[in-house]
Amino acid sequence: MSEFDMAVIQPEMIKSYIWLQTADGSIQQVEQEVAMFCPMICHEIIQKGMGSSKTYAISLPQRVNPCMLSLILDYCRFHQVTGRSNKERKSFDEKFIRMDTKRLCELTSAADSLQLKPLVDLTSRALARVIEGKTPEEIREIFHLPDDLTEEEKLEPLKNSTDDPRIRLLNRLYARKRKELKEREHLKEVDDNWTCHMFQNVETEEEHVDDRSVEDLLSFINGGNGDSKVLKTSKSKKKNRRRKEQQKNASVDESIESQGKDSNGLNSVCNGTGVDKLHPHPGETSTLPDVEDDTFPHKVEFDDGDIDDEIDPALKEKIDREVEDFARRLNSDWPERMQEILSLGQEGRPVNENGSLRRYAST
Amino acid sequence: MEMDLDKISNLPGHVIDQILSQLSIKEAVKTSILSSKWRFKWATLPHLVFDNQCFPVSSQDQTIVKNKLVSIVDHVLLLHNGPIYKFKLSHRDLLGITDIDRWILHLSRCSIKEFVLEIWKGQRYKMPSSLFLCQNLVHLELFNCFLKPPLTFKGFGSLKSLDLQHVTLAQDVFERLISSCPLLERLTLMNFDGFAHLNINAPNLQYFDIGGVFEDISFENTSHLAVVAIGLYVNVGDDQKQVYSNSSNLLKFFVHLPLIRRLEVQSYFLKYLAVGTLPGRLPIPCVNLNFLSLRINFNDAEEVLTALCLLRSSPNLQELEILARPEELAAVAKFINFQEDDHSSFTFNQLQLVKIFGISGTQRELNFINLVLLTSPVLERMTVKPASIDGSWELVKELLRFRRASTIAEVIYLDP
Repeated sequence: MSEFDMAVIQPEMIKSYIWLQTADGSIQQVEQEVAMFCPMICHEIIQKGMGSSKTYAISLPQRVNPCMLSLILDYCRFHQVTGRSNKERKSFDEKFIRMDTKRLCELTSAADSLQLKPLVDLTSRALARVIEGKTPEEIREIFHLPDDLTEEEKLEPLKNSTDDPRIRLLNRLYARKRKELKEREHLKEVDDNWTCHMFQNVETEEEHVDDRSVEDLLSFINGGNGDSKVLKTSKSKKKNRRRKEQQKNASVDESIESQGKDSNGLNSVCNGTGVDKLHPHPGETSTLPDVEDDTFPHKVEFDDGDIDDEIDPALKEKIDREVEDFARRLNSDWPERMQEILSLGQEGRPVNENGSLRRYAST
Repeated sequence: MEMDLDKISNLPGHVIDQILSQLSIKEAVKTSILSSKWRFKWATLPHLVFDNQCFPVSSQDQTIVKNKLVSIVDHVLLLHNGPIYKFKLSHRDLLGITDIDRWILHLSRCSIKEFVLEIWKGQRYKMPSSLFLCQNLVHLELFNCFLKPPLTFKGFGSLKSLDLQHVTLAQDVFERLISSCPLLERLTLMNFDGFAHLNINAPNLQYFDIGGVFEDISFENTSHLAVVAIGLYVNVGDDQKQVYSNSSNLLKFFVHLPLIRRLEVQSYFLKYLAVGTLPGRLPIPCVNLNFLSLRINFNDAEEVLTALCLLRSSPNLQELEILARPEELAAVAKFINFQEDDHSSFTFNQLQLVKIFGISGTQRELNFINLVLLTSPVLERMTVKPASIDGSWELVKELLRFRRASTIAEVIYLDP
């Protein structure tokens, strides 16, 4: 067949046919005006001159199997007729779209590959209607979707989109706690008696609830009412110490280390090694949530999934601010405080800011 | 095997987007827990709509509504991945909150094309400067907002459609906004304040719909304007009439509207057009005008004369709608000669549908109806509906009597 013959579409014929071939190899003849309703087929005919004979049948995309092709051609056959009213077309569409969901999906795919936008619009609307208002389990069942997300993955981060912003805060704190826990485990493996010992004490104390308000803690840290605080249980103080160290380490890392080196040699040992051991990642600013953790009564547990919705955002802000203040103060006062503590430490005074110092002093 | 049965997850991304965009945002986001493949399919949705349907918040407490809405929008925006072409925020219980500024800033970085913001409660919300950075905007729709663009604002180069309702902007801001959006095709303005002189300079404008309080309106360089609806919500005072009495507002109005196809004159706008010395008909007839709707006070002679002038200048009118505005009688009952000397040259050769609503059956009204019936040879249907039952029987008797130029005309009387 000459190229000329191939390229010419015979207008004199009353009904001309186009040859289409589906991916499975089967070839069929279709009325030209029906087939031309699909932009992809139209393009093949006009631009490439294909389809006018069996040997030069237009190869349809893989997503179009014979069953889908016949459905699509039914659609085209109806809609390519110009005289129809909108009402007629709508009514046809409503009836046409009634099929099981599986076929609906295949039809969407096939129509999309043939660039038949009106049919894609119709089927995607129908699929949306199928999805609408159903529970996830129902949707999975209808579409045969595997339920392969873990419960955790399902919860994060979307649970919060329908929950209170407080839940968001809690999840954030919760995530940090998990990180903390990992760090703890890492630190456990460190073969240093001193740090291990220190940490073990702290760990057991973490289980207990710290009921004190933030103000109390801060004043305690600043050594304001030292005497009254002595009466409190030692576990609280130790917790304080750990927190302080973490804070110092994370937020004022470099300054401490340099100052530590400047002042007492012992100090630098405690601080230097302490810093490294306590926080393998000194750059992290994970201290603020730790403080929050310790002050909220319910948050000290490490069990998964135990989230209590008791935090008041206003309180959280207040605490954030106070902790920042404290960190700043600590940062600026550090050299003087160090001198103070050193001079007091020898007297066995329990209240101080550097727990490790105290430890050192008493042993 | 599950894989073979699952026909939906492997559909192309744009098809999934199309399916999910037909669901509310809540339902779309919920698909993220269906399976691992579906986890982030919603995150590429290019259209985000946050309205009363997206989450049912049955609470009158503003704090709860606000917190919930802010949480949802923050989350969706943060988890979203890819360009956002359309964003609509319109929750009935939402006051203007500063979180909106943050969202608009985010959108300005996402090549936003269509932005719709409706603040249903509270005072005008001041639009942040980041809105004016959205250079890809094609459609902007604001309700209950206050606009004050920065001095560096050069306009929206791609904006085709602008819809401002219950907005406040200064006169120069308005003019700058219109003239700096060269591609503007549709302009809707309803209930605006802060400016009173409308000078519309928009070379591509095709659709213009305004309703509000203004002092004057003029078009410049609007040769494509085809559909116009104007409602002047305040009665034009008599003192104004004297100031402008030399130049006819009607003439000025139509100078730059050669292609006008559909015109709706609402509220008191006809009175505004009536100001000035009226010609018998316009110098250039509105040959493209095929739909005309007039809200008219038949007791005001000037308005009636203006309407007649306009009608005589619209030879190709196909549909006419007359909505009578019952007002107090004018101080001077002027006689109107409904027929020009050469009235026979004035016929509506294409007029098929006429509606006349809200009349009371006065002589002037009847003369008008009579004129229309005599000058419309292809009239198919005229529907008449009076304002009240009083005098309706007399009206019907007169209607029955009128001669009709069209042999196929139906005159339908509707009860008030």
